[in-house]
Amino acid sequence: MAQDAETGAERGTRASLRPPSDGRVNHLSALAALHLVTIFVLVSLVFFLPRALPGDPLNALLDPEVGGTFTAEARAELEAHYQLDRPLGEQYVRYLGRMATLDFGWSISRQSPVSSLIAARLPWTLLLMGLALTFAAAISWLAGTTSAWRRGSRSDRALVAVLTLARSVPDFAIATILLIVFAVLVPVLPVAGNRTVFAQYTSIWQEAGDVTAHLILPVSALTIGLLGSKFLLVRNSVIGSLGQEYMMLARAKGLPIRVQKYRHAGRNALLPFLTLLGVQFGFAVGGSIFVEEVFTYPGMGTLILDAVDARDYPLLEAVFLVLAATVLMANFVVDLIYTWLDPGVSTGARS
Amino acid sequence: MTIVSATATASRAGSAGGIRRRLDSLTVGLAIVGLFVVVALLAPVLTTYRAFELAGRPIEPPSVEFPLGTNGVGNDIFTQLVLGTRSSLLIALLAGLGTLLVGATIGLLSGWRGGVVDVVLMRVTDIVLALPRLPLLILMGVYLGPTLLNTALVISLVFWPPSARVVRSQVLSLRGRAHLTASLGFGAGTWYSLRRHVIPEVGLILIASLIASAGRAVMLEAGLAFLGLGDPSRVSWGRILRDALDFQALFFTDAWSWWLVPPIVALSLFLLGLTLVGIGFERRANPRLSRHSEGTAR
Repeated sequence: MAQDAETGAERGTRASLRPPSDGRVNHLSALAALHLVTIFVLVSLVFFLPRALPGDPLNALLDPEVGGTFTAEARAELEAHYQLDRPLGEQYVRYLGRMATLDFGWSISRQSPVSSLIAARLPWTLLLMGLALTFAAAISWLAGTTSAWRRGSRSDRALVAVLTLARSVPDFAIATILLIVFAVLVPVLPVAGNRTVFAQYTSIWQEAGDVTAHLILPVSALTIGLLGSKFLLVRNSVIGSLGQEYMMLARAKGLPIRVQKYRHAGRNALLPFLTLLGVQFGFAVGGSIFVEEVFTYPGMGTLILDAVDARDYPLLEAVFLVLAATVLMANFVVDLIYTWLDPGVSTGARS
Repeated sequence: MTIVSATATASRAGSAGGIRRRLDSLTVGLAIVGLFVVVALLAPVLTTYRAFELAGRPIEPPSVEFPLGTNGVGNDIFTQLVLGTRSSLLIALLAGLGTLLVGATIGLLSGWRGGVVDVVLMRVTDIVLALPRLPLLILMGVYLGPTLLNTALVISLVFWPPSARVVRSQVLSLRGRAHLTASLGFGAGTWYSLRRHVIPEVGLILIASLIASAGRAVMLEAGLAFLGLGDPSRVSWGRILRDALDFQALFFTDAWSWWLVPPIVALSLFLLGLTLVGIGFERRANPRLSRHSEGTAR
């Protein structure tokens, strides 16, 4: 939700902030360096924040039902086992080494390899966010162009009003509303989990159907939450292009409306639109925390919450590395698209 | 500024309702936000119970005694809703101002000093902007301790880049202007020029940016409380939602209708109010935008 607040326009200024460089290769390597610094900062933050502040990962090993504390010997042994007794500097260097080699270690609270925990959760979140972003992108592109084309009309105003309202509603509230509607008023869709518990599937199609049914509500909530910012962006940039001379020329040439609308007017919105889409995809892994929580969907969001709750250092560190890596990959793709679509960026002509 | 907005108004002479509509957005927004401010201020008069007082039996339906019924342990939901307004307003104010302070300082410094300072600060901005903010907020919030002040602090530290960018680009566009060059040429000091020429010009942008940050902060505070990571000593709209969804029998009774719906409505209405105020100020600050988003006010 919070990540949506960023508009394409804000990000659009990015390109011109970079120092002029004299070629695409230089430009891209400078970007890669920046992304590496970013990943380093985040990885370091995740290492030092939990250790600088109160809380103890070993407590997660205690059975909350029974309570109690460790004896001094048991604690020392456990700390030695998880290498928490070493000096902070040594732990940090080892940690950086492990992160660099993608060796995520053993989850303290769940007692299983961190990599298998992530492997079990990541696909579900990517599925949720991938679908939601695709739907939101398609809908906002069509609605935004149409709305801009017929600006001032009743349908345009209605769309703008509805989506401004939708943008004001946080996605956990949207998810809760869907929960009310589909848990109470018309109980036709499953509202929890990613598949029916203890289900025995007779065929792969039945399983696919079950998984799809469980996807509908979370994906809808996410889609509605992602629509507003993109719709307004498309609409405003298309309106911006309508008064341009090339639009007049297109009309004078007698081009079909469809071509005018999508090829000429719509193209103006393409760059900021793709940028916003890339940014939102970058935040995808952490972006469905609320919706996953409402629908108890077993994705990365609920894993993050559990890891934070249990102060599970190895799990936290790995989860945040995955988060950072996704953001940076998406950013890099956005930068590539930028360089490709807008040659001015790489030559520094725009600054 | 005035010249620009005058031409913008003239260019849209065709739409007579334009100005009225623009006023509407701001007025409606201010009215909604004002309503919540009044409720927050009058909270002691409006409520008869304490937030976590066991005022009645669990899940009592709405009555004269309990206007919005009671929750799973018998707290009065109306009281919690009214007191939740205070949390939301407080976080809006604290985190909004905090974000603005950090963002505006960095933006001003970056745009005004230029050179190495600018390059370094903008790199830092890029890095902060690329951090996964919500997970980081959760992580920092949990480790710092979930008081409202800490939440505001963390939000300010993580969400300042947009404000910094906006302020910086405004300052940059001012730097080349004749009146500023003249003022500096006559020997005006940095602080004088900033106070006299730069800050008044970026004022509206600052307000629009403040409103945007405030809205985001309200959303985040409610979200954290919703995840159970909020201030345990405070009521918050997000927390009411959380308590409701944690209540096992919620959907087997009608309780959801007086327990779940009011905080959602309050939160959405308040955020809508802030959005409308933001749109209003943004249009004043940037008349070109108002031409673009004509009709948004409704």
